[in-house]
Amino acid sequence: MGQLALSGVKKRFNKFEVIHGIDLDIRDGEFVVFVGPSGCGKSTLLRMICGLEEITEGECTIDGIRVNDLPPVKRGIAMVFQSYALYPHMSVFENIAFPLRVEKLPEAEIKERVMRAARVLQLENRLQQKPGNLSGGQRQRVAIGRAIVRQPSIFLFDEPLSNLDAALRAEMRIELTALHQKLKATMIYVTHDQVEAMTMADRIVVLDGGSISQVGAPLELYHKPDNLFVAGFIGNPRMNFLPGTCTAVGPEGATVNLVTGGTITVPVEAPRSLEGNPITLGIRPEHLSQAGGDLSIDVVPTVVERLGVNTVAYAELEGVGTISALLPGSSPVAPETPATLSFLAADCHLFDAEGMALTRKVDSSMPIPAAATA
Amino acid sequence: MMKKNAMIDRYRWWEVVLMYCGIFVFLFFVLAPFIEGFLVSLKPLGLLFSTPYRFLPENGSFKAYFTMWESVPEFGRYIFNSFFISTVITVVVLLLVVPASYAFARINFRGSGTLLGAFLAVNMFSGAVLLIPLFRLMRAYGMLNTYWSMIVPGVAFLIPTAIWLLSTYMRRIPRELDEAAYVDGASHFYILRRVILPLAMPGITVVAITTFIGAYAQQFIFALTFNSKTEFMPLPIGLYAYFGRQEVIWNELMAASFVGIAPAMILIFALQRYLVAGLTAGAVKQ
Repeated sequence: MGQLALSGVKKRFNKFEVIHGIDLDIRDGEFVVFVGPSGCGKSTLLRMICGLEEITEGECTIDGIRVNDLPPVKRGIAMVFQSYALYPHMSVFENIAFPLRVEKLPEAEIKERVMRAARVLQLENRLQQKPGNLSGGQRQRVAIGRAIVRQPSIFLFDEPLSNLDAALRAEMRIELTALHQKLKATMIYVTHDQVEAMTMADRIVVLDGGSISQVGAPLELYHKPDNLFVAGFIGNPRMNFLPGTCTAVGPEGATVNLVTGGTITVPVEAPRSLEGNPITLGIRPEHLSQAGGDLSIDVVPTVVERLGVNTVAYAELEGVGTISALLPGSSPVAPETPATLSFLAADCHLFDAEGMALTRKVDSSMPIPAAATA
Repeated sequence: MMKKNAMIDRYRWWEVVLMYCGIFVFLFFVLAPFIEGFLVSLKPLGLLFSTPYRFLPENGSFKAYFTMWESVPEFGRYIFNSFFISTVITVVVLLLVVPASYAFARINFRGSGTLLGAFLAVNMFSGAVLLIPLFRLMRAYGMLNTYWSMIVPGVAFLIPTAIWLLSTYMRRIPRELDEAAYVDGASHFYILRRVILPLAMPGITVVAITTFIGAYAQQFIFALTFNSKTEFMPLPIGLYAYFGRQEVIWNELMAASFVGIAPAMILIFALQRYLVAGLTAGAVKQ
């Protein structure tokens, strides 16, 4: 079992509060990713769950037992560190066996468990080598092996892939997902990389400045971000935000007058009181196209990046700043050449003056057909 | 063909000559007393005060290296004493300093900074300033005229430097290693024994060497004040035996000096093997 609950968890360093009350339930066997910009407290939160940092206030329970005052080993967790934290003077075998030696298990069992972990991680041929002779990916696998042999109910990963190069990271991502399916243990994974979050997570916890911004399945965060922060954080290139004013609210949604000119009615559930108030319209770069739509804006691209499969165009808009558009690879856009970008009302997100999203009338569990593959 | 150096390390011939001249001047300045001491040890006593003075010995021989054992028969004992006292001091210092350094490097306790500062402050007093109070202490505990009278103050005065050296070294060992071990259920003592000690070996060797040399060098003043028994005397006092009533047997004195430091030299060269760098390679990705 590996069910974890945080309630009202806070962390203060001296007088300085870095975690402002976290409430979170993690189900047994779930893969949960904590994501957020650097300094948002995601690593601190993980270290509190682990027991490396004291929980100043609130409660952390694992399988219904309060673990605030238990040492890490009694919590039934294992942690994989960003820097691997391998013991350089010990062989791979001894590194993996370390937790079992601490536990003083009989030699035969140690051997059996280490071999089993090595088989899962394809390290059988490396057991006698020192970590210094291994590549980055292998070292990370040893670190994971050290976590596996303890047979914990919850695995904690602190940015385990951030030291690897891009190709290896993609490979390890798949390996970790496969490992999760094989072990069926609860995994909590911290990263600042939204690709890792989107690809691996059952649920993503977006943290911002020591608070939870939103919790949800990857596509839920993508299609229905709760606020400006999550909308801007999830998605790459990031969502474009166009300021405007709400002029009318009707059954079809809210009508917005944009500073860039033009009016559009977005299908959201909006309160009448919104009329006349400032509003922010969010549109993802991948939803901008040159094929026409409900509203068009004229831009002069300043930079055009051709990635082969896609083309990213950046343009300056007065009163908005830089906006970007993800266009097909064969798109005719060129720098300093005027272009027209259009989008559909159904693809738009609306945020009120406080930055909170107005609920979109879309089904987030389904891929949105229009312009999604533009 | 000669192996080519990297661009930045290629010099003209006169630059190379200049460099070697510089090295020679420097080395000569440092080694001149030793060279002269060695030359004196080769000369017959009668020729030592010849005028004009000659640096290079005429009909020099290693005779003094044999006669020195006859002039001062207990000399071997003095060498042993020096070696014994320094070894005991080194072992005791290491036993005390390794856990202390771990504590300073890893455990946050109230006043650790102050305590480290205090150790440094103690180091500013030379042993000589504290001789009188130390003498009273030794007398009170009945340690005068024993090996302890040289070992105890030796340990006391060498601990601060050793703690500074070793705790700095241990601080450089990545903290994640401790954390990983702690998460896996290891206690402080287990972490110290299985993780920190093996990784700190080069640092511990440095501390052992400096402590040993320090103990060798500082014996003189403690032996002179706290011990009057010939059989416990260390080497520096033992050398006094060559100061006769009428004359000083200079050539044997010099020979004895060289013989006396030989065991320590051998030990230090042997320990140097353990000063391997890069032992932490592969521990964490920096």
